[in-house]
Amino acid sequence: MDHLSDTLSALADPTRRAILARLARGETTVGELAKPFAMSGPAVTKHLNVLEKAGLIRRGRDAQRRPCRLEADRLKEAAEYLATFRQFWEGSLDRLEDYLQQLQKKD
Amino acid sequence: MTLAAQTVTPAEPEEARSIVIERLIGAPRELVFEAFTTAAHLANWWGPTGFSITTSAFDFRPGGVWRFVMHGPDGRDYQNRQVFDVIEPPARIICHFGSGDDVESASHETRIALEAEGEKTRLTWRVVFVSIAERDRVAREYGAEEGGRQTVGRLADYVASRG
Repeated sequence: MDHLSDTLSALADPTRRAILARLARGETTVGELAKPFAMSGPAVTKHLNVLEKAGLIRRGRDAQRRPCRLEADRLKEAAEYLATFRQFWEGSLDRLEDYLQQLQKKD
Repeated sequence: MTLAAQTVTPAEPEEARSIVIERLIGAPRELVFEAFTTAAHLANWWGPTGFSITTSAFDFRPGGVWRFVMHGPDGRDYQNRQVFDVIEPPARIICHFGSGDDVESASHETRIALEAEGEKTRLTWRVVFVSIAERDRVAREYGAEEGGRQTVGRLADYVASRG
């Protein structure tokens, strides 16, 4: 898989999205991240590994704390891509609305 | 059996393979439904601005096929074949997408739900792909055409709609 596919797969999980939302407020440790999820440290670490592989986060070298930080560039790239994708159906619905307006004016 | 039922894999929950768009449309439900029921209606709105379609077969009943070519703004043509699975006027349409030939190559299922809200209609357009990989492939093929780049702010909508 290319890196965009990795990123999109990583974003498909609600726990990982919640982790990213937390990291959007600032860098923190694995222990802090685990707290709201009723999840073991290793389980959270597994999610963090996926996010790191996808380039969405970076972890510090400090072996004790391993602070996690959001990598905003990769997230932005994925967001732009997904927005373009949605645009296809959004565009159809824009036209459907216009068309229905025309039909109603005729009545 | 619906497409989704055939293709669920534990590794990829349906929400992860879906795109959901919801809109309140200023027209009564019967009229919104009607816009899906004939090739003449669909030619007026299917596809974003710049796209047009040429329909060669249209059979609006469960099991019926809608075969058409979509012409992109850059001159590219896309063969389309939609098979209607469920038709419940004026509330629900489910169809699945296959490629232009008759070989069954399921890609995604489209579920359209219409709910009346007074004189208006709540439309939910849900596209469920067979896999995340297939979603990404279709996104590359069709999404890139549109080129309508949006801001990072829309991630919030996207994530919220699937969360």
